[in-house]
Amino acid sequence: MAGRTRTTKKLAQRINLNYFKTLRGIPRWRRILSGVLVALGVAWLGWYALAGTPKPYNAGPVSHTHTLIGGKCETCHATQAGFEHSATDKACLTCHDGPIHHAEQTFSPACASCHVEHKGAFRLAATTDEACTQCHADLAAKDKNAPPRFVSNIRGFDGTHPQFAVLRSGRIDPGTIKFGHQVHLKKDLRGPRGPVQLQCADCHRPPGLNQPWPFSIAQIAPVSLSAALPDRSYMEPINYEKHCATCHTLQFDRRFSESVPHKEPKVVYDFVVEKLTGYIAEHPTQIPLVDEPDKRLPSRPPQPPARNAREWVAERLADSELLLWRKACKECHLESFPNGNDALPVVSKAAITARWLPHSNFDHEAHQMVACAACHAKAPTSKETSDVLIPGVQVCRDCHHAGKEAAEARCFECHNYHDWTKEKPPVGKFAVSQLGK
Amino acid sequence: MRIDHTHRPWFVVTLIAAAVATVVYILYAVNTPTGPRGGSALGLTFGILGYGLMLYAGLIGARKKVPTWRIGRGQTWMRGHIWLGTLSLLIILFHAGFAFRGPLTTALMILFFLVIASGIAGAALQHFVPSVMTQRVPMETIYEEIPHVRVQLCEEADKLVASICGPMDADDTEEPAAAVTTLVEIEQGDKARFREIYLQQVRPYLADPEARQADLADPLRSTQIFESMRRLLGGQLHGVLDDLENICEEEHQLSRQIRIYRWLHGWLLIHVPLSIVLLVLGGVHAVMALRY
Repeated sequence: MAGRTRTTKKLAQRINLNYFKTLRGIPRWRRILSGVLVALGVAWLGWYALAGTPKPYNAGPVSHTHTLIGGKCETCHATQAGFEHSATDKACLTCHDGPIHHAEQTFSPACASCHVEHKGAFRLAATTDEACTQCHADLAAKDKNAPPRFVSNIRGFDGTHPQFAVLRSGRIDPGTIKFGHQVHLKKDLRGPRGPVQLQCADCHRPPGLNQPWPFSIAQIAPVSLSAALPDRSYMEPINYEKHCATCHTLQFDRRFSESVPHKEPKVVYDFVVEKLTGYIAEHPTQIPLVDEPDKRLPSRPPQPPARNAREWVAERLADSELLLWRKACKECHLESFPNGNDALPVVSKAAITARWLPHSNFDHEAHQMVACAACHAKAPTSKETSDVLIPGVQVCRDCHHAGKEAAEARCFECHNYHDWTKEKPPVGKFAVSQLGK
Repeated sequence: MRIDHTHRPWFVVTLIAAAVATVVYILYAVNTPTGPRGGSALGLTFGILGYGLMLYAGLIGARKKVPTWRIGRGQTWMRGHIWLGTLSLLIILFHAGFAFRGPLTTALMILFFLVIASGIAGAALQHFVPSVMTQRVPMETIYEEIPHVRVQLCEEADKLVASICGPMDADDTEEPAAAVTTLVEIEQGDKARFREIYLQQVRPYLADPEARQADLADPLRSTQIFESMRRLLGGQLHGVLDDLENICEEEHQLSRQIRIYRWLHGWLLIHVPLSIVLLVLGGVHAVMALRY
């Protein structure tokens, strides 16, 4: 038996020449799958198109504050002329005002160029540093011939942010109240009810804190009965009645336990006259009596007995004025006597600085885990009012710097772009039904 | 297609284009305050460029459909498909700023990764598997012809056996009236045994070569079976047995060819349909992104 042979002719003869006209196996399934998958994709988009929602084209989850309108694309992507539905500044300004940054700014960026939506649940105000440094890295005012008012080459907080202006220029505290932190932080300071050790927080307290001063006597009432939580961002400026009066009383005469009001000299003067006049009217028998010398007053020749109530009041008024203008008030205030030594003094304004860094925001509450002196390092040893005790920029940089394990160090953490003092709140236009379910 | 030295120019051009695009993207990303976005001028440029590359890569399907078009050699198209298609992923990632974002764009990116991954797997298979096919399937035929060839092989085997034992549908006890003339007389006992063995073992396998329970489907077992047949049957039948064994061997190779073919082309079941969906949905994304 001859062996089986595979000649080209034999092989060619067994080929069906029409084989390519019919798809089989993988090519067939490739075509079927292509059709089915394209149909599924078109059906997916068509389903939403029929439902009238552009959800598939959502560019990503909206920020936390916009979640309410997250499913209502048309709220921001309003119909415009033609095909385009992009979100414009006009849509933003329907709900928000966007006051300008600065009168001298050279251009106003579009809202979306800084506040980028569809990037997930984070604060829209958390803009990138580049949004600020696109101008502040090479700050150019409208009037290029005008002298620069701000540092013009800030590229971030880590390296090029300058020292705070109040420290950089060697400024002093403009306050006129004579005060030394060192003296007030001494041990066993004389308090109204014995020795006290003052802590920073005894005087530096947020506004609206509904707690009495720890060393107060009865007349110091809680500053607020409101149940609202106080804003602990900033400390309330020091106030005589709240923080000083308990120890530094303004007694004007031994016959009276109450102090004079902590007001202008004329008010104080009228108060003393009224009190003395009223007293002697009730105690006329004391007119001829001579008072024991007051150790608090400078020694002076004994006064002759008064002959009538007017003389009695005039003599005691002179003593009270001496005690107040020349001793008690002078303890803290700067006084001058431009109208003569016998006239009422002129007291310089306290000029206590409420905010040292007016172009930035700070939150003491967010920093409450840090000891006061850790940042305000000079405070415990400060003897002069003129000492500026806010920490320098390097203290901030110890925590606020680049890196995953550092505190936020981008511009928005401290600075606002919009000048909210110029805000014109928009009038609401939406009904609840338009925003709710 | 083998990835050999002929790909070097494409590889170099792709590498240079990728390097330039990367430098441009880094400069763009660093100097864009709000981070890279597809809607920015440069983001759109990346998007248009990336989609253009994807379209070019997709056009290879059309090029194959009409091989008579005088628009470049098929091999050139395939090299461009491989390298520019891969480059398109990088360009589209630059367009997207490496973010998936919404439902459609997320779907597109997933599709894109699947297409590129299946394409890379396919390129690797196309590089290595054809040589395996050449070595292990010397009797290779056109894949689509395999069922047709198998029918013919079965008929050929039937004819071989009929030449010894008479027609297959004749009664077992009948004398093979139409037996092919042989030079050597074969004993009746051998013929009957041969016919019985063929009908019980060989023919069922040839009728359904993909049936796994058939002993002859295993090449090693097949060799053993035919050896035992040679011992059992007289030497006059060994020539026919050799031919039958050769037919079975061809069947083995066709089975092997099917398996290798599935490896060689199976990835296209993922790559091609997903590519088409990607191009369609990508076009929709381009239009709708401009709208919003």
